[in-house]
Amino acid sequence: MNWVGAALWVLGLGIPAVVDTTWVSVAAVFAIYAITALSEDIILGRAGMFDMGHAVYLGLGAYVTAILNVAFNWPIFATMPVAIMLAAAVGALLAAPLIRLRGDYLLVATIGFNAIFVLAMQNNAAGLTGGSDGITGVDVPHLFSWELASQSAMFWLDWVVLGFVLLLMRNLDRCEFGRTLRYLKQDQLAATTLGVNARAAKTLAFAIGAGLAALAGSLFAVQLSTVGPTSFVFTESVTLFAIVIVGGQGSIPGILLGTALMFVVPQIFRNLAEYRYFVFGIAMIAVMVLRPQGLWPRRKRAA
Amino acid sequence: MSIFIQQIFNGLTVGGIYALIALGYTMVYGVMRLINFAHGDLCILGAFIGLTLLSSAIGSEQPGPAMLALAFVVAIIVVAVAGLVLELVAYRPLRKADRLAAVVSALGASILIENGIMLIWGPNVHVFPAGLLPQTTWYVAGAAITFVQVMIILASLVLMAALYLFVHHTRFGTAIRAAAIDQDTARLMGINVSRVIASVFIIGPALGAIGGLFIGVYYREAYFTMGWTYGLYAFIAAILGGIGNIPGAMLGGVLLGLFNAFAAGYVSSSWQDAITFGLLIAILLVRPTGLLGERVAEKV
Repeated sequence: MNWVGAALWVLGLGIPAVVDTTWVSVAAVFAIYAITALSEDIILGRAGMFDMGHAVYLGLGAYVTAILNVAFNWPIFATMPVAIMLAAAVGALLAAPLIRLRGDYLLVATIGFNAIFVLAMQNNAAGLTGGSDGITGVDVPHLFSWELASQSAMFWLDWVVLGFVLLLMRNLDRCEFGRTLRYLKQDQLAATTLGVNARAAKTLAFAIGAGLAALAGSLFAVQLSTVGPTSFVFTESVTLFAIVIVGGQGSIPGILLGTALMFVVPQIFRNLAEYRYFVFGIAMIAVMVLRPQGLWPRRKRAA
Repeated sequence: MSIFIQQIFNGLTVGGIYALIALGYTMVYGVMRLINFAHGDLCILGAFIGLTLLSSAIGSEQPGPAMLALAFVVAIIVVAVAGLVLELVAYRPLRKADRLAAVVSALGASILIENGIMLIWGPNVHVFPAGLLPQTTWYVAGAAITFVQVMIILASLVLMAALYLFVHHTRFGTAIRAAAIDQDTARLMGINVSRVIASVFIIGPALGAIGGLFIGVYYREAYFTMGWTYGLYAFIAAILGGIGNIPGAMLGGVLLGLFNAFAAGYVSSSWQDAITFGLLIAILLVRPTGLLGERVAEKV
């Protein structure tokens, strides 16, 4: 499976050679949302915390990159570490006091954070976020003397970052921290009696998920060259949440399939815009009723 | 002082509406541990059905109040049937599955109903017809109280009292409370839990349809995304009072209505949602079981 995945990733590098720029940008957006969905999977699918405000961290990353680049002239790549660290810190700070709560309460609290975040961006908090218009004119990234200006170059950047995140997810499956999360999700009481610090592990998982989402957010700002509050509303968080459950919790191919279904297929049916979400709702119910474990559930293998 | 009294009456009106909608969330959560995300949209479906009937009456010689009563009856029936169908199709098959599968099914149902409303009635804001109800206004200590406000406050009180009596003083109400405490034991005592759940999906949406139509009559408008806004507020009210707790939902609704009225009256209205969600997070941190304590089935 890993070889198939790696081969598919290498084949994906050739996308700009076979399709026109519209589809290259669809593929780039797929890569960005795939990273975001994988980061949601760390929190929701692996650590079992019901995070329904994940668009906040995508938005934080996008806004940090846009503000530092447009208002302070930072190069794009220099903004990324700041975006990741800030979102990780915010994620950990927000989650730490709430993770002891029952799942549904965490879910409602994260919905609340999402609403507050969008309002703060709309109301032009600190005079930096540009209000409802957002921020325009985000620069293209520069790698040494090479300017990543074309759509294909940006796609390759997104695709390489996606590859890096996929490797990270694969390692997370195998390392001690990944096993800790799986154990906590299955039986928190048993895990804590064996000396697992549940609170620390869950806070760390939230911070990693938030940081990776912010990385995707930086790429998002670059891809669209503009950032506005509507891209990070609660509906986006719902979609990310649904991708993980519809695709299959903790399953990398499931998450990628879910991303393709939730973000790319709607692009194809753009002409049927009016009926799109109606059908989308029916599909969500149908998938859950027919395959409650997700479309491509995680393989159970002997530990 | 007159602003203060005015805000109290505004808050009680909105609070009564929140409470009616919150009851649907809290009853479903109590017996199933499921946040029925589609509930807010069901309520607004009630508002749109009422709106259609009322608009069709304009120009005819129908008297306003009779038409309004008919609108309520039809909205209640349609929304209650929709709630029951939703339970049978989207939730019943998932009762034994992972809880998150039911959550996503509920989100799908919400998107489905919201966009169904948009396909039928269009994306525009609809205005409720004027002149259906007496335009009487009373003045209390400088505050203006309208007939609609009095009607909503009284009707919510009567409905809540009726529900309270039903749940606490009838055999079927006892069955609902038993299923909310422990489904398996309730089943062993001969209670048909499936019927209890189905009944909760009739009573909740029926009350919600009244709440939704009240929103339309009070604010004189309806639009298809309204369900999310009011649904979230009502759900916050349910948590404020203690989820699963029926008197708690009533208290939470009224308190949240008052809180919102004062937040809008004395603080900036562009931050009103943020203040409400801030309150929610504060409650969750300080007293997550709500003011009156939660009553939720412990499923293993």
